[in-house]
Amino acid sequence: MSTTKSSAPAHIAGGSLTFMGALRSEWIKFRSLRSTQLLLAFTFVAVVGVAAFAAWVRGMFVEGMMALGGAAGPTGPDTPPTGQTTMTMDQAIASANEQGLNVYGTPIAGLQLGILVLGALAVIFMASEFGTGMIRSTMTAVPKRLPVFFAKAIVLAVVSYVLTLAAAIVSFFVSMPLLNIYGIKLSLGMDGVLSSILLGGVYVAGVAVIGLSLGTLIRSAAGGVVVLVALFFLLEIATSLLSLIPGDFWKYVGQYVPSVAGGRMLEIGDKAAFISPLSGGLIFLAWIVVITVPAAISLKTRDI
Amino acid sequence: MIEATNLAKRYGATVAVGGVSFTVEPGLVTGFLGPNGAGKSTTMRMIVGLDKPTAGTATVNGKKYADHRDPLHQVGALLDAKAVHTSRSAYNHLLALAATANIPTSRVNEVIDMTGLAAVAKKKAGGFSLGMGQRLGIASALLGDPQTLILDEPVNGLDPEGVLWVRNLAKHLAGQGKTVFLSSHLMSEMALTADRLIVIGRGQIIADAPIAEILAGTQQAKVRVRTPEVTKLSQLMGNNGVRVECHENETLEVTGLDSRQIAAAALENRVLVYELTPLTTSLEEAYFNLTKDSVEYHSQEFSDDASAPAAVKEYQG
Repeated sequence: MSTTKSSAPAHIAGGSLTFMGALRSEWIKFRSLRSTQLLLAFTFVAVVGVAAFAAWVRGMFVEGMMALGGAAGPTGPDTPPTGQTTMTMDQAIASANEQGLNVYGTPIAGLQLGILVLGALAVIFMASEFGTGMIRSTMTAVPKRLPVFFAKAIVLAVVSYVLTLAAAIVSFFVSMPLLNIYGIKLSLGMDGVLSSILLGGVYVAGVAVIGLSLGTLIRSAAGGVVVLVALFFLLEIATSLLSLIPGDFWKYVGQYVPSVAGGRMLEIGDKAAFISPLSGGLIFLAWIVVITVPAAISLKTRDI
Repeated sequence: MIEATNLAKRYGATVAVGGVSFTVEPGLVTGFLGPNGAGKSTTMRMIVGLDKPTAGTATVNGKKYADHRDPLHQVGALLDAKAVHTSRSAYNHLLALAATANIPTSRVNEVIDMTGLAAVAKKKAGGFSLGMGQRLGIASALLGDPQTLILDEPVNGLDPEGVLWVRNLAKHLAGQGKTVFLSSHLMSEMALTADRLIVIGRGQIIADAPIAEILAGTQQAKVRVRTPEVTKLSQLMGNNGVRVECHENETLEVTGLDSRQIAAAALENRVLVYELTPLTTSLEEAYFNLTKDSVEYHSQEFSDDASAPAAVKEYQG
């Protein structure tokens, strides 16, 4: 460093800011943090683990139902059949679905974990730039600012989708033999199994874009994650209390919170007094827009 | 070339920069000098668009910075040595910035070598010392081979070798016809590096001129005169525009006459003079004189009496 070398290379290829450049920059940022790599690997294993556990629990439940009939509750496989009101396999599976133990939804049973981790990761992807001061380097390189936001959103959405899809596929192949032990057949051709595997990642990608927007609006990792958890976990609990109020109106309110609407998108068939999967998807999309637009405006106009 | 026109930034009632206009010319090293809190960093942040001005405009090479298609080639900026993600390696940090403008990896390696970071490039930037952080910041600034270099307090935390390197780099780039704008609160550093000075205090431009002119302008060319006949000589010289001060025995400090004129007056009136010394103001004093009214954060003077150490002892005990 003692001598001044020429800082002018013969020529620098490129030099112009492009969106593809901003996208590549965000991808380099995303993959170059050890903590992110470890977190994604852990999440993948955990999501598959949850699905395997769910397959086991659901298999036991169905077996118990078939043995015991309407008496409810899973029991051990050794319980002797009582001989009265035994259920067929189809009845038992339908009963499990009513209990929230959707047998065919087993490949996406670990989705909640994916939402929590990838949503939080998305918050941090932006908030940590503000926290460390990196944002000043980023926005000096991309002074129009918005390409940074869209590039981050694309990186997060693609990573979330690919990770969730891969985890769902692996979960499918892990849970298939586990369910088979209990005599339950699971195949891609069944009632919405394939579509839930394909759409699960869309939901998680949407949550990641919401997380990115929260990180952009709040600029703090802790604050952003708190709001994310409130939106996707606490709001559902709070509005489920509202459904205790008499009248159909209050039963519908709870279906408009992002986690429930997004969840409906993945479910199979219509249920009475419930919004359709398509409406659920549109409501979830509306949530994304309502949070993303203010975030983009804030990033464009506020001082860095 | 950087042009600021009535550039202002207010935070509520606080005025950070109060409508400044100046031009930073290519081919020169322009120093931006001012005490802490004078508005140097805010002004530089407005030039690269991180802060939105409350009023006025700042342009780089004729356009707002954000409107350039090749921002990293227009301006290389070091605004904050801590503008890095602490968990990312220096190499990946530079690679990510380079990617935005499709700058090749070879250039990343080049700036790493130039700034002496090769040994630590693969280590996490969060573990860097202030000096290493500055080198990384300068490396980022040089990535796009910029026409204009904006460096905020670039020598902060650098070792003497690093300080010399930054000084030479600034002069070298200005010599190539580039615009070099660097801020400092250290007058001595500016004296060695800058060709031109913009002095700012409390958000206002106090001086904007070639460095020699600033020195001359604030230089009250004083001459120290030692003579046994203080009163007589004072009366001889004490006419219009000439100020005579007497602080010690047989010693006068004369402002407004040079040594030759004083000697002539003394000879004419047969007054013995046994010393005539021209007193030049140092750049440090000039700076102090310029900014003494505009220092935002005055430090308290340390008292010389015994109570100060006693208080420290008491605190430690």
